[in-house]
This record gives sequence, structure tokens and C-alpha cells, in this order.
Amino acid sequence: MPGVPALLKRHASLEDPVAELRAACATAIGRLGPRVRVLASGPSAERVGSQLVWQAGGLVVEDDETGLLVVGNGSAKRTEKAPGHFDPRAEAFDEGLRTSFAGIDPALADELWADTGMLGILPALTDAEVLYDDAPFGVQYWVAFWG
Amino acid sequence: MLKLGRHTFADDQPLMMAIVNRTPDSFFDKGATWAEDAAFARVAEVVGQGAEIVDIGGIKAAPGVEIGPAEEKARVVDFVARVRETWPDLVISVDTWRAEVGDAVCAAGADVLNDAWGGADPELVDVAAQWRAALICTHTGGVTPRTRPYRIEYDGPGGVVAAAIADTVAYAERALAAGVERDSLVIDPAHDFGKNTFHSLELTRRLDEMVATGWPVLVSLSNKDFVGETLGLEVGERLIGTLAATSVCALAGARIYRVHQVLETRQTVDMVWSIAGRRPPLRAIRGLQ
Repeated sequence: MPGVPALLKRHASLEDPVAELRAACATAIGRLGPRVRVLASGPSAERVGSQLVWQAGGLVVEDDETGLLVVGNGSAKRTEKAPGHFDPRAEAFDEGLRTSFAGIDPALADELWADTGMLGILPALTDAEVLYDDAPFGVQYWVAFWG
Repeated sequence: MLKLGRHTFADDQPLMMAIVNRTPDSFFDKGATWAEDAAFARVAEVVGQGAEIVDIGGIKAAPGVEIGPAEEKARVVDFVARVRETWPDLVISVDTWRAEVGDAVCAAGADVLNDAWGGADPELVDVAAQWRAALICTHTGGVTPRTRPYRIEYDGPGGVVAAAIADTVAYAERALAAGVERDSLVIDPAHDFGKNTFHSLELTRRLDEMVATGWPVLVSLSNKDFVGETLGLEVGERLIGTLAATSVCALAGARIYRVHQVLETRQTVDMVWSIAGRRPPLRAIRGLQ
């Protein structure tokens, strides 16, 4: 799942701008069991992952986990209005991730504002049940479950 | 909880009370809704704009032709019944100081008695209690209904604000003793009523002191003379000044806004309510994607 700060409780709006994403995250996290280990590239992404685990009634643990939650996302430069503005390389970069998380170029990921630090450990999306795959604000999000 | 007749509202919800005049001579609309169908269309309009309350008045506040209770009832009672029948979820307030009129409009379906003249008729509280209606307790400094303020001074400690608090709270307590429910009492400093512009500006600046009494506060600022005198603007030009005063009152926590312009006031109050941390933004995603 992506570390989207809009998912945090303290950023709640009257109308949820990420309702579908939130629902997909809840579905995925619900399948991880009661003890979830959160793997994130930084404190902000970790906070988002952990809060969603707690909201689902789960415990965030360091070991003996029943499930693993990996937080990250694709580029943030998909459109003119994207947080990082438009970069013509962004779509191909995300397409590459969609095929495989192996061999990500960290320098290019940085340039495209992608949060891929933890994605390298994941199997390919083609082997997952993909619950969400969209870039609603010019940022590429996936929610996927590997059983 | 705020209980307005048959309707209840949460304590953190600001409410729009739209003014509907059944008068040929009110200062802002100058008789535009004098005809019953025009007044009815005005109600439809403000309901469409999201007003929770309409405040129906049959007599303009300023001095003018004497309107007896029979004529006042003729102007508002059947109209209240028609509005009640058409919009069962709408809160109907009637702007009157007369117990006799209050009784008739409650029988026709009114929820709130807005006594803009601060208890001039001592029996109005009994009518509110009997019909389980809400009552707006205003401050006028003891002036006779439909008179203009003339050289009124508030020389006691705390000035006009202390006087407004003392009088409105005393009125609310008198109503409580008469049997009006605690959740159905609202206080209103009544800008411009028994006050000069300096008084109304001070009431606005110190509205938090009224809110601190714990009674829900109504403000009636819309296009009034204190706005006009402050900015040097005629009646039709006072919206921006009204909204500035509205912002200050909203930040202090006023609960009900008696207004001519519903949409503009709602937008202003929503914005201030969110600044104050009492209302989440409608849809915040900037920087949070």
C-alpha cells in the first residue's frame, strides 16, 4: 500500500478524497492477521501503515508476525498537477514497476519522487491479487495482496 | 444539544436563520416579499440554499405605522401554517414580541419565538413554555419596541457587553423558570437595538464573553446600520462588512446567524469554523497525496 498522509485520521475531511484507496487498504490489511509487521522507507510512511493496522484492530509487531505490510508507491510526477509536476519518464517507470519490483533504479526513483525503498522485496504484481491500481492525483498507488 | 421546537441540532453545528419579511417596508428588501407568494418563494429559495431556520416577521423593527396584533397575525399565522405544511423539516421562527401572536403562530406550527424586543411582553415566556417552543432572548437595553436608540449609555462596569449578558441571561432564566426547556433558550446581544455603532462594534469584538455564559448565542448582523456607519455604505452595499463581522462572531463561537444572504454567510461561517478547528475541511488532498 502507498504511504498516503491523507489516510491518517488527523487529515480527515468531510468527504474522503481517498475513499476507494482506503477501502482497498482495509481489505488487504484485514487479511494479514492480528500481528502485522510494517515495512516502510521512512517514519511518515510507517505512521500511515501502522495507523491503518491499528484501525483494522491489528497489532504492529517487530517479530512473530502473521502478515507483512509493505508501504511504498510509484512516481509522483504523472501529470501537470502531480505533486512533482509532469515528468515524461514517470509513466514508463511505473509501468516497469507494474511488471516487476526487481532492479529498481534508486536514482531515477528519487528523481520521480517514487517511494520504492521497500518494494524490492516484493514478488511481481502479476502474482498478486491487485485491489487498487491508479494514479488519482498524479501519484501511482497500488494495493496488492500476496496470499 | 439545541432543541428548536420539533427539531434538534448538535452543539457544534452552526445554523443559518434566513430572514423572511411579511412586511411592506423592511429596511433591506423594502417590501420585496410583502405578497404572500413572494414570501413563499423566498422560503423556497433559502431552503434550497441550505438554511435550517426561517425567521418570519410581520412588523419591521424601525418605527412606522402602528401594526396591531390582529394585523400582525393576519400577516404571519396562515403563512406559518403553509410553510409548515410544505417543509416539515424546516425550523420556523417568528419574529414577534407579542404573546398573543406567539400563541397563534405556535398553534400554526412555529418552533421558535424570536423576541427581538427583549421581553417587552412578559407573557411571551409562558407561551413558549406552553408550546414547548424555543425562545430567543435579546438585549435591547430596555427600550420600547420599534423605537430607535437615542443617547443610550451603558456606564456600568463591563459596559454594553456586561449589560447585554446580564439582561439576556436574566431573560433566559426567567423563561427557564416559566417552563421553557434549557436546551431551547438562545441569547442574542441584538446589534443596533438600543445601541449606537460603538456599542455594536464592542459587542462584536467581545462576543466571546457572551459565548462563555454557556447559553447558545444568536447574532443578527446582516446589513445593519453599525456596518453601514462603520464603512460609510448604504443598505445594499453592506455584504462584505456584514461578513467581516460574521467572521469575528463565528470565531468566538456564535451558533445561529440571522441573515439576508444565506450562501455567503454559510461559506464565511464554514471557513471560520474550520479555521477554529470545529469543522474538517470538505476535501483536503493538497500535499497529502
